[in-house]
Amino acid sequence: MNRYDEKWEDQINALLDGELSEIDADLLKDAAGSDGELARAIIEAHQLQQAMNRIGVERAPASLKKRLRAIPRQEKPGSGFSILQPRWAMALAVIPLIVIVTTVMRPQEPSAREIAQARQDLAVAFAYLDRAGDKTSREIESVVGSTMSDAIAGTVIRNVKSQL
Amino acid sequence: MSRRYRKWVKEYQDQAWTLARYLLKDAQEAEDATQDAFIKLWHHQERVDPERVRPWLMKVTRNGCLDRLRRRRDIVELNEGHMPGHVDGPMQGAAATEVGTWLRRAIEGLREPYRSLVVLRDVNQHSYEEVAGMLELSLTQVKVYLHRARKELREQLSEVRP
Repeated sequence: MNRYDEKWEDQINALLDGELSEIDADLLKDAAGSDGELARAIIEAHQLQQAMNRIGVERAPASLKKRLRAIPRQEKPGSGFSILQPRWAMALAVIPLIVIVTTVMRPQEPSAREIAQARQDLAVAFAYLDRAGDKTSREIESVVGSTMSDAIAGTVIRNVKSQL
Repeated sequence: MSRRYRKWVKEYQDQAWTLARYLLKDAQEAEDATQDAFIKLWHHQERVDPERVRPWLMKVTRNGCLDRLRRRRDIVELNEGHMPGHVDGPMQGAAATEVGTWLRRAIEGLREPYRSLVVLRDVNQHSYEEVAGMLELSLTQVKVYLHRARKELREQLSEVRP
């Protein structure tokens, strides 16, 4: 084709696609009337389009049709992502389980009643320790004397109380 | 669900097969690629816009074919592909009794994305907009590339014909 090649190329394709306006079609027709190469290009484009239309879409072979029909039987639907899939259902089921376990395992704050009970238990324990301390002092005193016994008994009681 | 899938199979199996056949140039592999695309359609049918099934399927089919070509180490052909004359010379084409046979081979000889463009637009008759969506190209790119491909085919055809 000549130096108008690219300009007319778009027009030829638009003509074949049925997108060329009537005005542009007339312009193309006029140009082809005085340009043999352009006229030949239009004819060849038309011939190519006819050949394309003739070859058309190929029919899928029977073996492929059979394989495509078998897909619903062979493949589970929606295995790409589905909330109903087993692995997703299991994952979702685990969430409340985690919440329950976390709640049960979490250290709980003691209630006021529990605190009062603990204080009462401690008072009983200290009273017992005081009595036990007195008894221990007497026993030690009988062995090592009063000065040493006070030191030992006092240390024991202080150590025990500090653990509480 | 199955009924809808079967409807899609009936409507689009030939187009998907044609595209795979031109891209892969191997019937058995084209069958496998087409089947793979429909398996994906089966699994994604709830998420694919019913109005966009055809372009979606063609895009998946093409991508699958290109993956196969890459695995086949045919990537050289994709990048440096031959134009029609190089695959089937004009004289050989002239000797062919059937223009259609020559044209099929000529299309198969186009490099990408020209080959897909010609098959999708001129053989399968998809709209420019659909083709642009399938190949992730702009409408302008589709037209420019397609015009180049048609021109190459036309020039080859002019040499084949008396």
